[in-house]
Amino acid sequence: MISNKAKKQIDDWVAKYPTGRQSSAVMEALKIVQAENGNSLSAESIQAVANYLEMPSIAAAEVATFYENYNHKPVGKHTIRICHNISCMLNGADDLVSYLEKKLGVRTGQVTKDGLLNVKKVECLGACVGAPMFQIGDTYYENLTEKKIDDIVDNLK
Amino acid sequence: MADIEIEIDGNVVKAKAGEMLIAVTDREGISVPRFCYHKKLSIAANCRMCLVDVEGAPKPQPACSTPINEGMKVHTQNEKAKASQKAVMEFLLINHPLDCPICDQGGECELQDVAMSYGSDVSRFTEGKRVVTDSDIGALIHTDMTRCIHCTRCVRFGSEIGGIMEMGGTGRGEDLKIEPFLKEGITSELSGNMIDVCPVGALTSKPFRYELRTWQMHSVANIARHDLVGSNIFTQTYKGKVKRIVARDNDGVNETWISDRDRFSYEGLAHENRLLKPQIKVDGQWKAVEWDKALEFAVRGLVNNALNADGGNKLGALASNTATLEEFHLLQKMLREVGSENMDYRLNVKDLDNVIDLESTIKLAVLEEVEYSLIIGSNLRLEQPMINHRLRKAVLAGASIDVINAMSFDFNYRTNSENIVAPDRTVVILAEVLKSILERSGAEIPEYLSTIKVDDVAKCIADKLLASNNSVIILGEHAINNPQAASIAKLIREIAQQTGAATLNVSATSNSIAAEMANFVPGQGGLNANAMLAADLSAYILLEVYPQYDFHDFVQAIESLDNKNTFVISMNSFKDKEVARYSDVMLPIASFYETSGSHINIEGVMQSFAAAVSAPSESKPAWKVLKVLADLLELPGFHYASSEQITSEISNQSHQYKVDDKAINITTKRGVSVIWQKSPYAIDVLSRHATALQVTKIGQMHSASMNKATAKKEEVKEGGQYLGVPVIITEKVADNCVFVNANQSTGGRA
Repeated sequence: MISNKAKKQIDDWVAKYPTGRQSSAVMEALKIVQAENGNSLSAESIQAVANYLEMPSIAAAEVATFYENYNHKPVGKHTIRICHNISCMLNGADDLVSYLEKKLGVRTGQVTKDGLLNVKKVECLGACVGAPMFQIGDTYYENLTEKKIDDIVDNLK
Repeated sequence: MADIEIEIDGNVVKAKAGEMLIAVTDREGISVPRFCYHKKLSIAANCRMCLVDVEGAPKPQPACSTPINEGMKVHTQNEKAKASQKAVMEFLLINHPLDCPICDQGGECELQDVAMSYGSDVSRFTEGKRVVTDSDIGALIHTDMTRCIHCTRCVRFGSEIGGIMEMGGTGRGEDLKIEPFLKEGITSELSGNMIDVCPVGALTSKPFRYELRTWQMHSVANIARHDLVGSNIFTQTYKGKVKRIVARDNDGVNETWISDRDRFSYEGLAHENRLLKPQIKVDGQWKAVEWDKALEFAVRGLVNNALNADGGNKLGALASNTATLEEFHLLQKMLREVGSENMDYRLNVKDLDNVIDLESTIKLAVLEEVEYSLIIGSNLRLEQPMINHRLRKAVLAGASIDVINAMSFDFNYRTNSENIVAPDRTVVILAEVLKSILERSGAEIPEYLSTIKVDDVAKCIADKLLASNNSVIILGEHAINNPQAASIAKLIREIAQQTGAATLNVSATSNSIAAEMANFVPGQGGLNANAMLAADLSAYILLEVYPQYDFHDFVQAIESLDNKNTFVISMNSFKDKEVARYSDVMLPIASFYETSGSHINIEGVMQSFAAAVSAPSESKPAWKVLKVLADLLELPGFHYASSEQITSEISNQSHQYKVDDKAINITTKRGVSVIWQKSPYAIDVLSRHATALQVTKIGQMHSASMNKATAKKEEVKEGGQYLGVPVIITEKVADNCVFVNANQSTGGRA
């Protein structure tokens, strides 16, 4: 369930905490395992992480379901994380969400047929100065308009 | 204990510095509403219901997590406190369904009670309420998670008391749900306590679902007799039936917890398999008759078969270890009156010349303070859940545990070392430990230890026993049929003497200590259980005996009892086809909670209980049946009007442990050893008939576990059958060893 490479990465994180406190590495471990499994976590992989870190499965599941950066359903190659908090909302984020949904032919939470994209509404990403905005991978795209979205999304491969 | 003074609602109160405010108000009888706070669980402070006004603090403070300080002034009833509590109540009720009329918790619901005092008549919340999908978490607990208010008592119970975190809070905010992982269900042997701690109707008893309202029932303080603890319980009854069992607080015994076995076994009482009418066998046919006919028949049989011809010495009595102290006493008194010393309760012991004789020298409450414990031959968690719970507390406080077992079991705490060895090695390890201890104290090494070589494991155990001022050696049930059982007990006594360790003997469970105290064991010239069955007796009185479950070798036992010339009186609470086969008269007796009597727990504490309900149909409490039998036999001294009279007759006696002078034997034999243990929920006839318990994971523990090499030797495969149960191949079992968990005994193999 967890590859040897991932185990090594997890071990590096475990080493940062006092002995016997390996469960402190659960967030990173879940991230590592998620990255290995098409960017989403199945119940089995959560259990595998829990077993590896010698903690109750439900405790790992608590963490995995609390933070929104863990996915529990299959996701596209790229996730468009669009902010819908106050600043972005006032600047028309909701309209942009509808535009994206219409353009891609999927609702938020669904994956496009080609498996390339999915849209996820997220809370504030701290870029209110450039609202409305979304994040793809590690990149922030700010001051979005429908035209700008077309340019960005059509160029994704 | 009072070192500081604080002021609550204008009254000066003495308390200990650092105590939480809620502990002080609880002690003083000042009511502060709460949901998440529970005196035996850690403090979460997440329900916010216990907000009170502390002078000087800008905002109201939660009483459960506010430590007190000298001179603190607290208002629990002023406007600020009341307003905060009302506001929290309103928030808690936003998502709580108003389904009290169909909720099992109604009437004993903390939320309902608090809402009566702090809730508003009208809801200002017009939006939709949240709905949560339920998960099926097993046969014992029903869930209605829409009612959950996220107090996390069940989550904390699991991780802190149950020892396995089975429930957790997944999701966040509006989507937070309390659920187990993967709908796996709850498997803990203490899981039923989650029902007790749940302040709302989210977790309720499944077997009790939709049965009754709590105010319709009558609560009777009672004692559970399934293990050596004698947990304090309330039996809740309605129209003469036990409907539910809940825990009763007793800090010295079970704190506020009880095991699932104690909580749910009552279901068996209403099982259709109850024996309800006296029956006699006439020309091989069973005939239901009136009590007087049956008793007359029984007495005539006894007199004609045994007493007239042989005096008492051809009469024997065998009793289950679940009998009450009073029943053991009456039965032994009756037998001794007619001149028989043949009596025994140790039906599952193969070699009664080689038995464990070891006293328990530690109090349950002290067990949680030990620094070191050596557990020998026990799956303590499932055998004695409450004793294990105390030991777990010790481990959490830093105690170290070593285990010598034939199989690696799931302890719900960390063990320091687990020595998984075949039964014949146990005595050797203990001998090594003793030798190591003696060597260090410079004492003379006795002859029988001269050839023993001390290895590192034993040395390490000896080190810890010597280093610790507060240690305990626990000897469990798996040792009873060990070929060196007596020597093991002797070595433990010797080690305890040398190191000052306490001992805890959990090898015989239920009410076995009462049997010993009532002297229900063969006296001078008397026969023990095995000797009786081999001796061709002419009459028996059997009390609550179910041969295929109770005798280590049921085939031989049944054969011996099923003799045409043997007159067998069986007193049983349940029907059983083997009993019907060999008995000549069957007398229906009361089961648990239907009779008054006493249980003696591992501390030697006698706990007496009254009958919660009367015995069903024509069945009668066994002590009454025994009394009448004795009267009919015209024996003197049986004029009891109540069981308390019997109790007072015996309560002055105390059992003396007599150590025989047989030498300690350390020779070992090789070959495959079978260790048989009844499934934890099959140890007595009532549990075996409790349907919900039987379908739990623990109830389904029927297997013969062995490692690959042993399986090859025994020529069985995974999933095949061994002694009537499915084979599980696991390296958790010691080599040359088969660990059998089954309801029925193995017919002499173990």
